[in-house]
Amino acid sequence: MAIIERPVPATSVGPALPTVTPSSSLGVFRRPVAATGWRSWVFTVDHKRLGIMYGVAATFFFVVGGIEALLIRLQLAGPDGTVLSADVYNQMFTMHATSMVFLFAMPMAAAFGNYFLPLQVGARDVAFPRINAFGFWSFLFGAMFVNAGWFLGGAADGGWFMYAPNSGVAYSPSHGIDFWAIGLQITGIASLSGAINLIVTVLNMRTRGMSLMRMPVFTWMILVVQFLLLFAIPVITVALFLLTFQRVFGATFFSVEAGADPLLWQHLFWIFGHPEVYILVLPSFGIVSEVLPVFSKKPLFGYPFVVFSGAAIGFVGWGVWAHHMFASGIGPISVAVFSMSTMAIAVPTGIKIVNWTLTMWGGKLRFTTAMLFAMGLVVEFTIGGLSGVTHSVAPSDTQQTDTYYIVAHFHYVLFGGAVLGFFAGFYYWWPKVFGKCLGERLGKWNFWVMIVGLNLTFGPMHIVGLQGQPRRMYVHTESRAGEGFFNITFWNFAASVGAFIIAISVLLFLINIWHTHRTAPPAPLDPWDARTLEWMTTNPPKAHNFDSVPTVHALDEFFHRKYEDVGEGDEHDLRRVATAEELLAEQEANADHHIHLPSPSYWPVVLAFALPIVGFGVIYNHLIAVVGASIVVLAMFGWALEPSVALDTDYDPPAPDDGPGTELATVGGGRP
Amino acid sequence: MTTTGSKLLIGATVMAVVAAVVYGVIVGGALGTIGLSSAAMGLALLAGVNVYTRDADVSSMDTQAVMAAPAAAAAPGNSMWPIGAAVGGVLLVVGFVTYPVMVVFGVVVLLAATVEWTVQAWSERASGDATFNASLRGRMAHPLEFPVLGAIGLGVVIYSFSRIMLFLSQAGGPAAFATIAALILLVGFVVAFRPTVRSGAVAGVATIALVGLVAGGVAAALEGERELHPHETTGDLGREGQCDTGEETEADENASQTVGAKANLLADIVLHEDGRLEADALGLPGGAGQLVVARNNPTNVRFVNASGEERRLVLDLGTRPAVDENGDVIEDEEVPDQRCTALANEDGNQLLNFTVTEPSASGGPYAFVVPGVDGARVEVVVP
Amino acid sequence: MVREMSAGPSRRRLAGALTALGGVTLLAACAEDAPQDTWQPAGENAQRIQDLQWWVFAIAGAVGLIVFATIAWVSVRYRDRGQPIPRQTHGRPALEIGLTVLPALILVGVAIPTIGTLMDLSRTSDTECVVNVTGQQWWWEVDYPPQEGCGGFSEPIVTSGQMVIPTGTKVLVRGTSRDVIHSWWIPRLNGKRDMVPGRVQTVRLQADRPGIYAGQCTEFCGLSHANMRMEVVALDPADFETWKANQLADYTAPMEGSLAAAGEQVFISQCATCHQVDGLVNADGVPIIAQPQERVFAGAAPNLTNLTTRNTFAGATWDLLTPTCRDDVWNASPEEFGAAYLAGVSADCLNEVDLREWLRNAPAKKPMYADPEQLGPTDGLNRGMPYLALSEAQIDQIIAYLLERQ
Repeated sequence: MAIIERPVPATSVGPALPTVTPSSSLGVFRRPVAATGWRSWVFTVDHKRLGIMYGVAATFFFVVGGIEALLIRLQLAGPDGTVLSADVYNQMFTMHATSMVFLFAMPMAAAFGNYFLPLQVGARDVAFPRINAFGFWSFLFGAMFVNAGWFLGGAADGGWFMYAPNSGVAYSPSHGIDFWAIGLQITGIASLSGAINLIVTVLNMRTRGMSLMRMPVFTWMILVVQFLLLFAIPVITVALFLLTFQRVFGATFFSVEAGADPLLWQHLFWIFGHPEVYILVLPSFGIVSEVLPVFSKKPLFGYPFVVFSGAAIGFVGWGVWAHHMFASGIGPISVAVFSMSTMAIAVPTGIKIVNWTLTMWGGKLRFTTAMLFAMGLVVEFTIGGLSGVTHSVAPSDTQQTDTYYIVAHFHYVLFGGAVLGFFAGFYYWWPKVFGKCLGERLGKWNFWVMIVGLNLTFGPMHIVGLQGQPRRMYVHTESRAGEGFFNITFWNFAASVGAFIIAISVLLFLINIWHTHRTAPPAPLDPWDARTLEWMTTNPPKAHNFDSVPTVHALDEFFHRKYEDVGEGDEHDLRRVATAEELLAEQEANADHHIHLPSPSYWPVVLAFALPIVGFGVIYNHLIAVVGASIVVLAMFGWALEPSVALDTDYDPPAPDDGPGTELATVGGGRP
Repeated sequence: MTTTGSKLLIGATVMAVVAAVVYGVIVGGALGTIGLSSAAMGLALLAGVNVYTRDADVSSMDTQAVMAAPAAAAAPGNSMWPIGAAVGGVLLVVGFVTYPVMVVFGVVVLLAATVEWTVQAWSERASGDATFNASLRGRMAHPLEFPVLGAIGLGVVIYSFSRIMLFLSQAGGPAAFATIAALILLVGFVVAFRPTVRSGAVAGVATIALVGLVAGGVAAALEGERELHPHETTGDLGREGQCDTGEETEADENASQTVGAKANLLADIVLHEDGRLEADALGLPGGAGQLVVARNNPTNVRFVNASGEERRLVLDLGTRPAVDENGDVIEDEEVPDQRCTALANEDGNQLLNFTVTEPSASGGPYAFVVPGVDGARVEVVVP
Repeated sequence: MVREMSAGPSRRRLAGALTALGGVTLLAACAEDAPQDTWQPAGENAQRIQDLQWWVFAIAGAVGLIVFATIAWVSVRYRDRGQPIPRQTHGRPALEIGLTVLPALILVGVAIPTIGTLMDLSRTSDTECVVNVTGQQWWWEVDYPPQEGCGGFSEPIVTSGQMVIPTGTKVLVRGTSRDVIHSWWIPRLNGKRDMVPGRVQTVRLQADRPGIYAGQCTEFCGLSHANMRMEVVALDPADFETWKANQLADYTAPMEGSLAAAGEQVFISQCATCHQVDGLVNADGVPIIAQPQERVFAGAAPNLTNLTTRNTFAGATWDLLTPTCRDDVWNASPEEFGAAYLAGVSADCLNEVDLREWLRNAPAKKPMYADPEQLGPTDGLNRGMPYLALSEAQIDQIIAYLLERQ
């Protein structure tokens, strides 16, 4: 095995010793170095493969959350709906929010971040590849754990905000909330490890010449998001621990009889919960800030303003949590302060909208599907942002909070913001990731159907909310529906129709994927005439991303290598001087030697798998928790003992120096 | 392949698992099962290590290696663990006849020394390359060493600091805290603005600070803590029938003298200088002699003592059946049913949290009173 | 109301026109809106909010229109017609700063009146009358403490579901909760306020005209959150005095041998454990005090002393009046409303359908937590009303008895 057969260096004192090689080793201790087959995915530490897996898992939970939404809308399509019982309805809206926020939007952002951030900063992988793999697997196992409640006596039913004391055992006797709290704890570990990973990657692994202010805006926004995660996740971790202790071990953190105050939970939850909103939406802002310049053939207008407004949102986002509590009775002074800070955060958000608009101004616009989705975001997010301003006016908010008006607001922000941004990203980067362009015709259908569905679903909710229908009601009634244009029943029906139109558009997207991968020809190397580094390599990128790590001289490096301004004085005349193919050939000709890449590993997935075992143990039997914890310790040991790079003997048969091996091993591997 | 040495350990692991299952099923009881499961885990770990290192037995696989093995070629390096183990043993033995705490120390030192010794010995014969061996040792031991040393280091710092803060007076504490914080900030500034400062100098300053902190902590620990006021325990007052007294009791000594940041209370119950007691509730200004409290509802009120003397507020809920030591109800014996605050000092506030289960109509009359002040009374109406 | 009509880029102009016309005119004109419409204030406090939010919505709408129009114009004007690649400009700081300062100034303009309104709405020093509300799963208890306000109360009144207040009076609602967080919201009178256990929260209410103002619990409070409603009934001060006197009137026992008298016995054996009826005595003449804490987790059940003076039951979710009678009350003119409401529930007007269903099997009608096999976490206590296995004859008797609780 690895340790014993280490060759003695020539410099050592004494006679040269022969290498000792073990006859064989147990297969399980060998590194899973396969480059193909399921093992190459399960044990991979490649940021691109992990990014794709994040994306697939997130899409799955998008569909799950979408089905939950459809059931909710079916129940509410008419008055006194009977599709779901009150109990199941409460589980349904709790899990819809949980799925969409924690199991779709966050991992989807992680998918984009994981895949493109290293490419955009010219790195070969993230800083801690095995932690990256661990992050994905703990997300996946945590997500499954959260949903395990469905099959074990009922899912969580306290709303995603899980206000105390309604989250106590007396008010929610099933194990659903236990699964929810511990499962989110596990996905929190994923977010936290991912955050540290990407922060270190950005700060330490940028390529030559890429100063912070030359980074693509997408990378910037992901960086801001990781800092938000780094500080927000610990807060929810504490809150979830308190909740778990209250439920499982009979603690009294939120019990009035014991002198505690239930509002403690609200503060903890929203100190996490509001930055979480920016965690969800900033990645899409980043995507749009990539897509708009490419299809406008212009750099992002006011790059430093966009960057700093993103950072400003990241900071001010910490000072606005109590606007979720304007009706909680926190006192007029607190309300006034948080009202003002909430208005203040509208300014940097507005800057972004203005800059996106001015990026298009004077451009040369190509309305590809990606561009349409990006423009759709600008429009729909503006609607959500403006209704957000009406909430910052606290007295007005006391009329609107906890009604469907709020539901409308944050769906315009999160669907109109985050989801449309993700779709822009899908269409823009699909050829980069899979080597084929998604169909434009189906894509445009996808876009327009989604826009219609989105506005038909969430638009009427403004009316319904202002007409006084509270959220989270499993039925609404004809007797309080009113008459005429603003009839609540009619607009509820309209919203339900809209929800199914959205479902059709998502279906169109899935069909588009299937169709593309069956029939589409390979995509050109640079299909959009893009501007950033990730397009300076093959489609899809090689395992080591770049044959030769590029040196960066300017913002939008790729564009400036392709085009030169030959105009004189104030005259500007941009001429193409190189094609993407030429640039790639040049890079391949100057390939680096000794590329160091980490090897796949068992331990991340083993360690991640042990976490839900601990969770089950906490809920059902503490002995199981001991077993799980023991596996955690063993896996950590195994991880710590494992060299970062696979050794020759890990290959079966052991790879000779010039043997077939794998691409990894040939290019750099870790072979001595 | 199973190596000879690991067979014993694998067998023992299996035995432990079987024993855990059998014990768990037949005898039951968490402790035994946890113990046996832990033993199984530990044995499995050892078995794994043994298989992984092939019993650390080079000769079995390569007869030449006995001559050529690194261990045969290079003499082992220096080690502090033999003496560490000896110190542990001595502590253990001495502890048995003197202080039990020493036994614990002995066990810990002995354990640490044994583990370190084992890892070092094993790593030194792993190959002929000393650097590689050292890295091997690190890989094996660091996952244990770093967390443990980190925890011990942090623990020492925190403990020392806490001793110092507990030793200082209530006024001195914040001052010392501010000073130390300011010093740290200052040093941080200097280091940040003068990157040329030698790292040795920084380390020196840090070491001096650390030594000073630990020394201060030790000294403060020997000197003992200042007089402390732990959190209130007035819930016991009512149960122990001590609410009636206007005098200070043991519970009062231990009770805090102020109300925390409690907002949105049902009412302030104010004791005026002239001995009047009034309920000041939101929306009912002017001080009422009556307070309506919802039935079966946990309620918070604040006692505001403006009388210039130490007083407590008592909620008189009539009588309740007496209970004996075991909590069983004693027939035909009633005791006063009271809730009360701790003694509020002059111009002090106290919080009272209570729930009334019977309406005034059947359980009443209820009232707030102040022991030692005649006529101070607010009727409590529970509809 | 500006935003629900605007859609994707292609519909922007249409949306603009629709917004300007439809949003403003329809909103102001439509008189048959839902009873919980947030845009039809019926008292000073809600009016303050209305005056404030009107401008905010208008400004937000205007900003939205400008943004949409700009994007529409840009996407037509600068679409790719083969023009040369534009200059690679990175922005103009002066313009950027200007466009940062402008919204900031607008927001300052919004902030100042916001703070003023906020402070006024949270004042408790100038109110004339206090009413307490206590939320529990899934109904509201309302009680009037002894006070000089509202024409004076010598002893407390406890009722539920409907809060009766005099018109033109600044009423201070003090609310709390016995179990989880609930929220008190009467949209036409004021914004909402969460009622948090252990805290006493305040809301100002004032109704200008007599009438019924509907509301609903807006903080998710568990299983039957959707079925937790409340109503504020505003009566002019003279009618209010009548109502008050009726509430405080002595208990009238049913005539011996009547159906109601049998109902009284059923009530005592089946209902009085939890439901208080003031003045009800047992066979020995001892007043019966309900002990809801022995059956219900929240430790409270609605006081039924004057049930049929109210016209809703079960958390104000169902009407005690038939639809026709209900419309007569709800649609009565302000002058006639007082008399209509004070008439209470007569035998002709009683909504027997819902009431019978409720008495037959309450948890089947309104989802509640009353399955005896699932009561472990609450030590066998119900959350809500359990199934009582009453016979049809018993239900007849109880209804006859309750009809006399006027």
